[in-house]
Amino acid sequence: MSVASFELDLEIFSGPFDLLLTLVLREEVDLMELELAEVVLAYLDHLESRGELDLEAATEFIVLIAALLELKSRLMLAGEEEGLDALAELEPEHAAEELLARMLDARRYRSAAAHLRELLARERGVRFRDAPLPTHLRRVIMQPAPGSADPLILGEAIGRLLSAPPAINLEHVAVPRVPVAERVAHLRRLLRRGSFSFDEAVAGADRMTVAVTVFALLELYKRGEANWAQAENFGDIAVHAASPPATERGALERADLALAAGGAM
Amino acid sequence: MRAVEPQLVSAVEPQLVRTVEALLFLSNDPLSAGELAEATQASERDVAGAIAQLRLHYAPGESGIRLRELAGGWTFTSDPAAEEAARRLFSRTRVAALTPAQAETLAIVSYLQPVSRPEITRIRGVSADSATSTLLDRELIEEAGHSQFGAVLYRTTTQFLKLFGLRSLDELPEISRWDPTPEEQGQLRERLLRAGEARAEVP
Repeated sequence: MSVASFELDLEIFSGPFDLLLTLVLREEVDLMELELAEVVLAYLDHLESRGELDLEAATEFIVLIAALLELKSRLMLAGEEEGLDALAELEPEHAAEELLARMLDARRYRSAAAHLRELLARERGVRFRDAPLPTHLRRVIMQPAPGSADPLILGEAIGRLLSAPPAINLEHVAVPRVPVAERVAHLRRLLRRGSFSFDEAVAGADRMTVAVTVFALLELYKRGEANWAQAENFGDIAVHAASPPATERGALERADLALAAGGAM
Repeated sequence: MRAVEPQLVSAVEPQLVRTVEALLFLSNDPLSAGELAEATQASERDVAGAIAQLRLHYAPGESGIRLRELAGGWTFTSDPAAEEAARRLFSRTRVAALTPAQAETLAIVSYLQPVSRPEITRIRGVSADSATSTLLDRELIEEAGHSQFGAVLYRTTTQFLKLFGLRSLDELPEISRWDPTPEEQGQLRERLLRAGEARAEVP
């Protein structure tokens, strides 16, 4: 059974897959409104209901769905890339044409492939000499490496390889641990003043601490405890206190406990 | 088999014929007339005469060995009549048939070389990774530098020409031979549209 006759029941289309394909090519179904993921899911259901995998049909489906995806990507990007490179950007209708051209191209090389297979079949039973030249006729004569013929030297070499190397001491490598809860507490302390500068909050801190402090700041923002403003990219961040609604305080404290118990980076 | 010019054959020194024969025996790869001339210090014309004489000697039916012009040179091959016995002697089969994916990939490389894997994938519409690595393993294709975008480029090998019985890539038919006619193209498009309409009419 071919891919063509598998039935779809989607929001904007209901019917066989090949009809959908035709309508898309004729632009009677808007590809932008078509959820291709739904088509794939429907196809997977279809495969499962059949209980066996027809590789030929599955391949055909994958080729078609990939072409549709590419077409849709082009449609979605067309607006944003306008003027960037008018020649490289394909109009949707040209993309449909290219889809057809590509199918024809593939067909051409499939025929060429059949020709190659015939050539190979015609040469069946023809063998070639597959022997190395006699040593004295080779252009480059490799001398054996010194000592490679001496079993004692070889034994010593392999012996060195077989003994386990000493374990590497990793004690000096400390894994820096910066608890989020600790940074949250630190920021809250600073917030009691009403506002503070982020640079000040992380003065002298290492990279990891800075990163976790940003994380803590986001956490405070999420809970409505802090707001911030940044005048320019990479500039200092001014953090202001923002009092959360009183009703949420109970919930916040419970969340704090959970954070203190488990949250560390 | 092409006719041999008699005046070429008679004019050649017997020793040159024997030397050329020995060189062809020793070499695994096809030897061009130029290479043979350089090695024997004879003229290319004399070498051509020697080869003409050897071709008589190794004509089909005369010997278990054939002398063939392949991959831009001359090389000995076995007589296909010996294949069954050869297969009993050497357990390995000569060359396995190509899968459709491998044949398609090989066709694209042979016509478009040097060509990159993404380009092969684009034409076939499906990934060519596994087929490409098998063809590399079988030494039918090889790497040929990098494209301007850094993708590895592939080309066919001498082994490819030998196994497919080709003197050179020029012996491949023009790819346009398999061009669909405008009618066929139109039919393909029409068929797509008609199939859709026929179904649309069914209530």
